Amino acid sequence: MLFYDRLQFAFTITFHYIFPQLTMGLSLIIVYFKWQFLRSKIEKYNHAAKFFMKIFAINFTMGVVTGIPMEFQFGTNWAKFSELTGSIIGQTLAMEGMFSFFLESSFLALFIFGEKLMGQKLHFLTGFLVFLGSWASGYFILATNAWMQHPVGYEILDNGKFVLENFSELFKNPWLIPAFLHNQVASLVTSSFVVASIGAFYILRKKNLEYGQLFLKTGVVFGVVSSILIVFPTGDWNAKNVAKYQPAAFAAMEGIFETETTGSEIVLVGQPNMVEKKLDNKIAVPNVLSFLTYQDWNKQILGMDKFKKEELPTNIPALYYAYHIMVGLGTVFIGIMSLAAFFLWRKKLYRLKPLLWTIMFLVPFPYIANITGWYVAELGRQPYLVYKLLKTTEGVSPTVSSGNTLFTLLGFVALYMLLGLLFLVLVGKTIHQGPKHKTH
Amino acid sequence: MTDTLIALISIFVGIIGANLVQFITKEYSFDMVGNSIAGVFGSIFLIKSFGRLGFNPTHIMASGKVNIFLFSINMFVSFLGGFVAVILIKKLAFKMNSLKKKEENPYT
Repeated sequence: MLFYDRLQFAFTITFHYIFPQLTMGLSLIIVYFKWQFLRSKIEKYNHAAKFFMKIFAINFTMGVVTGIPMEFQFGTNWAKFSELTGSIIGQTLAMEGMFSFFLESSFLALFIFGEKLMGQKLHFLTGFLVFLGSWASGYFILATNAWMQHPVGYEILDNGKFVLENFSELFKNPWLIPAFLHNQVASLVTSSFVVASIGAFYILRKKNLEYGQLFLKTGVVFGVVSSILIVFPTGDWNAKNVAKYQPAAFAAMEGIFETETTGSEIVLVGQPNMVEKKLDNKIAVPNVLSFLTYQDWNKQILGMDKFKKEELPTNIPALYYAYHIMVGLGTVFIGIMSLAAFFLWRKKLYRLKPLLWTIMFLVPFPYIANITGWYVAELGRQPYLVYKLLKTTEGVSPTVSSGNTLFTLLGFVALYMLLGLLFLVLVGKTIHQGPKHKTH
Repeated sequence: MTDTLIALISIFVGIIGANLVQFITKEYSFDMVGNSIAGVFGSIFLIKSFGRLGFNPTHIMASGKVNIFLFSINMFVSFLGGFVAVILIKKLAFKMNSLKKKEENPYT
């Protein structure tokens, strides 16, 4: 039963997260375009801001639609979890809906329809408030997840229910800020690639060339900065948090089966062999992991052999691969974006067709990196829903049958395929119409 | 759990309702992109606001089986939500732009 519930949640949330990860980063790029227009009065920046706000609106709408099953699932599949922790996670989730979602959706409508009525400065402000709403939304969701990863400020009643003892602790959670920053910069990476790839597409098609160059340049500049920030300081800070608060998950994601007497090596390539408890075909660099984690080449890091079986994540290979895919892709992004930035500086980028094709076709990969990043967080926390306090098996609804879950999962797959198709048609149509197209 | 599926189907019907507007009146319609977005919000708005009268997905599945009558009402209201949302949003957009024109030239 638990397997199907987890599978359904994993499927629906993975599909859902395709959309918010773009809107959060894109809102910042839209604010940048609008600010550039206010500063320079060059009309193309304003067209660019409005064009990407259309793409933002499509993604935002899809995010709303795919978010609805999440809300239902808390009550259907995970009723026990909601019953036990509702008075804590209900706070942040309600704040997400009441403050950020309404802020984002109200000002999104004003941005799209109110330019003439409000004038340019107020129009910029509405764009900024959309950005603020989307980032606040991320903050509240991350605050919820941070509490599940590292519970703080709670009390457990005799009936097993969790209640909030200290409200401010929820937002001072040491897990929260590093995770939030890492997540937001990761969405900026996705958005940068989307903006750059639309630019590359226009240049390769010799269509909307002026905008193609603007989008490519903006995407590359945002891309190179965010790709570096995703590794340092945000990724580094996040990994140190995992090492400190979830050492068993850290050992599993790094593939450390045996504790070494001195410093730990960093594994670049290798396949977890769960029978012999080792990595096959390993390529590793000695002592580097200890240095990166503790700034000490010889500091010992606990391997999986030092933890009890029930303390270890339930699916070690999935966790290990998800982490290494995320890190590997992050490295590729730095390489590609740095190369593109170099050729942009040398004024050769717009003519370099192989690089333009590469940037265009790399678009799915930041999405994959973002999603595998979330898999690392969620698989690393297993077998718990609330780390060390509530097991996943204890949070599932006892009355929902696996047949019921499987049937609705199949329904979701069919409906989401339809929704995905509609999304591609709408985004494709918007890109095809280009930034100068007017709808009203 | 089927109620979650019904909620999603309901939104699709709202999108269809919104996109039908362009076949009836081009004046009160955006393009496919705008209509679809308006359809989603119109459908959710009406179902969330009035569904508690007895036709929201939870009520439809209350007996454990799909109540076809309530399901039909839900679909109709959702369709209506999408359809009306496009017209209302378009009217709002007209109004906002005409307010600005009046401000620029109060004698027109």
